[in-house]
Amino acid sequence: MSDDYLWDRRDPHDPEVARLESVLRHLRMPEPHILVLPAQAPPRRLPFLIAALATAASVALLGGLVWTHRSGGVALPITSVAGTPRVSSVAVSESTTLGVGRWLETDAQARASIDVGGIGRVEVDPDTRIGLVGSRDGNYRLRLDRGTMHALIWAPPGRFFVDTPSSTAVDLGCAYTLTVNDDGTGLVRVTSGWVGFEWRGRESFIPAGAVCPTRRQLGPGTPRYDDTSSAFQAALDAIDFGGAPATRSSAVALVLAEARERDVVTLWHLLTRVAPADRGRVFDRLAAFVPPPAGVTRQGIAAGRREMLDEWWDALGLGTASWWRTWKQPWRTDKERGTQ
Amino acid sequence: MVRRAQAGDREALAALYRRFAGMVHGVVLAHARYHDVDDLAQEVFLHAMERLGSLRDPAAFGGWLAAIARTRALDHVRRTPATEPLADDVQGGIADDSEAVWILAAIRELPVAYRETLMLRLVEGMTGPEIAARTGLTPASVRVNLCRGMSQLRARLGRRTS
Repeated sequence: MSDDYLWDRRDPHDPEVARLESVLRHLRMPEPHILVLPAQAPPRRLPFLIAALATAASVALLGGLVWTHRSGGVALPITSVAGTPRVSSVAVSESTTLGVGRWLETDAQARASIDVGGIGRVEVDPDTRIGLVGSRDGNYRLRLDRGTMHALIWAPPGRFFVDTPSSTAVDLGCAYTLTVNDDGTGLVRVTSGWVGFEWRGRESFIPAGAVCPTRRQLGPGTPRYDDTSSAFQAALDAIDFGGAPATRSSAVALVLAEARERDVVTLWHLLTRVAPADRGRVFDRLAAFVPPPAGVTRQGIAAGRREMLDEWWDALGLGTASWWRTWKQPWRTDKERGTQ
Repeated sequence: MVRRAQAGDREALAALYRRFAGMVHGVVLAHARYHDVDDLAQEVFLHAMERLGSLRDPAAFGGWLAAIARTRALDHVRRTPATEPLADDVQGGIADDSEAVWILAAIRELPVAYRETLMLRLVEGMTGPEIAARTGLTPASVRVNLCRGMSQLRARLGRRTS
C-alpha cells in the first residue's frame, strides 16, 4: 500500500492509519489558549507554563483573555537548597512557607528557593535577607534587604516586584539577578527579557545582557550592556550618581564617543538624565543610530515630552512602549487599568 | 522568532510555544506515562526557556527542544518506580478507551525513532513534513521512520488482534 496517506494524508486513504488517528486523537496536546490556574492545587501540578504562555499570547496578541489566579494573601512555598535557611529564625522544612510580613534569611552556607505562586521561581543565594511584602490578585511583592536573588518569572509583565532599599524592580520579562549590598546600593543583571527599575518617578528599563546599578536616595542608574568598557560604565555612574557639572559633561562626551549601535537603549535613557545643555548632543548621537520618528523633535525631547520619548523608544526596535506604560499600577487588575 | 524570544519578546515566546507544544507533548508521550506528560511538557519548556540564550543557531531550535523533551522524559522514566505502565495510564484518564491504551503500549515497544515519529503522526496529528519541520529531522528520515514504524506497528497490532 502507498504510504502517501501516512506521509501527508494524501489519497489513497489508508483506513488503518485513519482508524489509529481516530482512536488516539483524544490523547493529543490540548489547545493551550485559555489560562486555568486552579485555586488550591499544589504549584508543581499547575499547568503553569501553558498558563503563562497562553496568557502572554492572549494579552499580547488577542487583547487579553482572562488571567485568573489564586486570590489574596497566599504564602509562598520555600525549599531548602543548601545549608539551613530560616524563616523567622526557624529552619526551613518541607512544609515551610513565606507568609506576608515574614523574612527568609540565609547564612554563608545556606541557599533556598521560593516558589512564586506558580508564576515563577526565586533562587536565594547565601547571606541574603528577603521578605514577602504582599501577595494578592496574582501580584507578588518581595523585599530584598541584602544579598542576592535570581528570579525567573513567566507571568505577564508587571506581576512580580522586588523592593530594595534604593529602587523597586519590576519584572517585565523572564530572568534576572538582583544584588543588594550592605550599604543599600544594588545592581540588577538581566539574563532574559526585561526588568524595570523605579524610584520616585525615575525609571530604567533594562534589557537582557544589560546591568543597571541603583543608589540610595538617587534611584536607578542608566542601563548599560555588560560588554561596555569600564570607562564607559564609570562615566555613566558619574552622570547618574554625582560629580561636578564639568565632570558630568566630560562623562557625557566619553559615553557619546564610545557608544555603539546596540547602546541605543543607554542613549535613550540619557535623553532625560543629562543636563539640559548636553541633551542636544545625546539627541544627535542617538539620531545617528536611529533617526527620530516624524513628529519627534529636539525641542520636545529636551522638554522631556513623554509621548515623544515613547515614540522614539518604539522606533528603537526593542519592543513597543505599550507594555511598560501599564506597569506602574502594580496592585490594580487589568480590568481596573482598562486593558481588558 | 527564536532570536526575538531570546531577546525576551513574549509574543515570540508564546508563538514558539504554540508551534512546538504538540511536538514536545508527542515526544514526551513516546516515553512517559500519559498522566505525567502535561507536567513533563511544562518542565521541558521551562528548562528550554531558562537556556534559550545558549542556543546559537535558531534553526536548530526544534531539534534542540526535542532532545530536551526526550532527555527529560527518559530521566523521569528512570526515576519512576517500574510499575505497570498500562495501569498508570488507565488511572491517568484514558480508562474508558482500552483500545487507545494498548495501541499506545504497542507504539512504545517500537524503537525510539519510530516511536516518537508515530506519536507525532498518530496522536498529535502532524503530517510528515510538519514533523520534519518541528523536530529538525530531514523529511527523508521522517518518511523512513513513519513507514518502518507503521509496518512494525501493524505487525504488533495484528498479533494482538489474533
